[in-house]
Amino acid sequence: MTVSPREPAAAKPRVPRGPVLPWVSRQALVGLVVVVALAAAWPALLHPSAYQKNLVTLTFLYICTALAWNWLGGYLGQVSFGHSAMFGVGGFVSARILLSVHVPFAWAWIGGGIVAGLYALLWGHPTLRLRGPYFSIATIGVGEASRLVFTYWEWFTGGSSGLSLPIESGLKARLYWWGLGLLAIMVCASYALRKSSLGLGLLAIKSDVEAAADVGISPTFYQDLVLFLSGLAVGVTGAFYASYFSYIEPGDMFGFVQSISFVLMSVIGGVGTIVGPVLGAIVFVVLRESLIASYPQLYLGLYGILLVVIILFEPLGLMGLFFRIGKLTGLVRPQVVAKAAPGGTGAVRE
Amino acid sequence: MQHFAELFIASVLLAGLYAAMAFGLGLIYGVLRIVNLAHGGVIMAGAYAGWWLYETVGLDPYLSLIPVAAAAFLFGVVIYRLLVRRLPRGAAGGVQSLLLLFGVWLILRNIAYLLFTGNDQTLRTSYSTKALSLANASISVNRVAVFFIALAILLFLHLLLRKTYLGKAIRAVAQNPDSCTLVGIPIERIYALTFGIGTALAAAGGLLGATLFPFSPSFGSAELLKSFVVVVLGGLGSIAGTAIAALILAMVEIFSILIPGFPVYLTAAVGFVLLVLVLVLRPGGLFGQRVLG
Amino acid sequence: MTAPILRAEQVAKRFGGLKAVDNVDLQLAEHEILGVIGPNGAGKTTLFSLIAGSIPPTAGTVHLGDRVISGLPAHRAVHAGVVRTHQIVRPFGNLTVLENVMVGAIYGKRGPAGARERAIEVMEFVGLGDRASALPANLTLAGRKRLELARALATEPRVLLLDEVIAGVNPAEAQQMAELIRSVRKSRGLSIIMIEHVMPAVMALSDRVIVLDAGKKISEGKPQEVVRDPKVIAAYLGESAVKAPAEKPA
Repeated sequence: MTVSPREPAAAKPRVPRGPVLPWVSRQALVGLVVVVALAAAWPALLHPSAYQKNLVTLTFLYICTALAWNWLGGYLGQVSFGHSAMFGVGGFVSARILLSVHVPFAWAWIGGGIVAGLYALLWGHPTLRLRGPYFSIATIGVGEASRLVFTYWEWFTGGSSGLSLPIESGLKARLYWWGLGLLAIMVCASYALRKSSLGLGLLAIKSDVEAAADVGISPTFYQDLVLFLSGLAVGVTGAFYASYFSYIEPGDMFGFVQSISFVLMSVIGGVGTIVGPVLGAIVFVVLRESLIASYPQLYLGLYGILLVVIILFEPLGLMGLFFRIGKLTGLVRPQVVAKAAPGGTGAVRE
Repeated sequence: MQHFAELFIASVLLAGLYAAMAFGLGLIYGVLRIVNLAHGGVIMAGAYAGWWLYETVGLDPYLSLIPVAAAAFLFGVVIYRLLVRRLPRGAAGGVQSLLLLFGVWLILRNIAYLLFTGNDQTLRTSYSTKALSLANASISVNRVAVFFIALAILLFLHLLLRKTYLGKAIRAVAQNPDSCTLVGIPIERIYALTFGIGTALAAAGGLLGATLFPFSPSFGSAELLKSFVVVVLGGLGSIAGTAIAALILAMVEIFSILIPGFPVYLTAAVGFVLLVLVLVLRPGGLFGQRVLG
Repeated sequence: MTAPILRAEQVAKRFGGLKAVDNVDLQLAEHEILGVIGPNGAGKTTLFSLIAGSIPPTAGTVHLGDRVISGLPAHRAVHAGVVRTHQIVRPFGNLTVLENVMVGAIYGKRGPAGARERAIEVMEFVGLGDRASALPANLTLAGRKRLELARALATEPRVLLLDEVIAGVNPAEAQQMAELIRSVRKSRGLSIIMIEHVMPAVMALSDRVIVLDAGKKISEGKPQEVVRDPKVIAAYLGESAVKAPAEKPA
């Protein structure tokens, strides 16, 4: 089979491809490199305070969780309210590894991540065959049950008194770099999942599961795969979190609030986009530091109001706003916006 | 054997409560194709409303069912008119309605924290500790009352859906909204009323639950999951299916303590395990997914 | 007839008490176009779902060559070489035309290598070459039906199941679609089973026709023979029509 010689200009592939990572556009690659370089130069150039540096490290961490949640919630349209389960499993498994054997913490993180991914498959494989709301409610159950069970498993999690990790001097300063590295990996992975041929398949599943199966996509396999990866990534960030605070407690790690924040960051920035969760996580951290710190008794309600207002007025969050401006100025093509549609757009009806 | 009979009676009584809690969730999903994630929040609000009415004006919790359900009905209609109606229908609206109603739940929870703190509360009336004795077994008066009230609610709903014009319109909308518009059924009003009825049921279920169990602002998430398990097991809108599913869930929960060495804290996970088993073995629900059939 | 490429033996599907497909036998020869007609609710689309793996049969088997494909999940049936289109078109609304077709090319038989080029070629073949970056919602119904066909072709099937790709479009577009189906067989060497309500198209395109009524196969043969079969006329027009000389459908 050959490419037709009289290929009209309009049919020319319009997505520019970078030479290094074929699925990342050149602009995105340049953007990523610039951002990482800026973040790397920042401590040396501006000598931030320890507080500022810690805040930025935490932001890296939250961006990673938001991106990982978005793989499932945004790319596949399967909204999980129970991702704290994998966050907790990743954290505690890595902590147990660090407490029992002498390995570099990165190995413990990977170990925690893999166990978290497998844990996600354990409950997710049967429930992912349900689309949409059914799956979401099941995840609420998973989150709750995990929290209860792991709080009672004192031999593993230390119960309500939690676990303390060995404290290393200068660890927090080093974790800034680890956080930045993790962030870069997660952004690249997000691009890979979205822009590669795998990403097209995920978008097809999100749009219409049955039609996707009818052109050769195995919905079970790809949904399981994304869930595993998402669980793995959230597990690794949970492990990072554990190393960072050197003390973890199941009520916090498995808490409902963790799950909500993963959802909220993506919703603020724009579910289903790549840049959205990054922006959302930044806004979330700023919001938490400024508002929540002064009114701790109101944070649940604030999260709730944010969800309601964003979904009502701009379901694509900040990215939705950008798309609107972009459409007015002709910078964003409707095709780009269509891909970010929050739910399955379903069949086009006549 | 004695023990077995006691556990069975306890399961039946608990099943009544589960059925009443679940029916509202199933009804709203059957008609609007929306999973009402605020369901858990309304269950919690119903519990607090009953408790508050008893503590401040001394209104008996079973009597306060009427004002609480009425208020919840209005709340449901308002939520529908103000929020849910604005969402796109169908697949694209699915994720959005989930997130939006989840937001409503968080707001309700926060209000409860502000008004009543995060402490566990219990609704204790003069007859809370009374028990009936029946052939050597003693059964709490409250549990029996809750069972019969739940039964009465379900019977009322059955008659409402089967015998009244409104009920027939609701069932028609559930089956085919497009042709309902053609024959002049005011479909938006039916949606709003259905959302109100479903919300009222959740609040009533929460209030009934509050007479049996302690509750806090986070009350409702386990109940939402249980309601969901019942809906998946029993199918949508079928009262008999709901009742049988509720009985199965209650029996599994209660009889799980007979398993030697079964840790009590795992009871919370029992519902979920049951859900997964059903999904794997009978993806269409135990009795097939009838939509208000 | 040489060895058939696709063979269904006594396939049946029951939904509760309803026999949607009732022990149907069917053979499709290499490069053949087989028409499937029948009144509404005759079980035609269910038969397609059984062959394409969307639903498992209650009884019976479907063979592709020497391979049993009945009971395979839909995506495995595609990899085996059988692909279907949907009567109500189901494009991926969030993807462009090119990307829709690319999904077929990537996840079909040949895999991701060169998928873009193959997708472009198929798009040109069905006449959507200039709509590559359009969204499905911006195509006409005829355009979306072409897209449905292109996406199926991109999986590189041996057997193509077309569910009413002509019905619902205007006569000029129907004519073009019929031409397209002919060239699918001619230049791509596919074997085709098509469900169609538009009788002139069935008569003109099909080598052979089978008629379903209430899940049963009631007639089979050359198009001109089948439409004269009293059982077929009765199924379409009711028993009384059989006694009066039937008019040949236009």
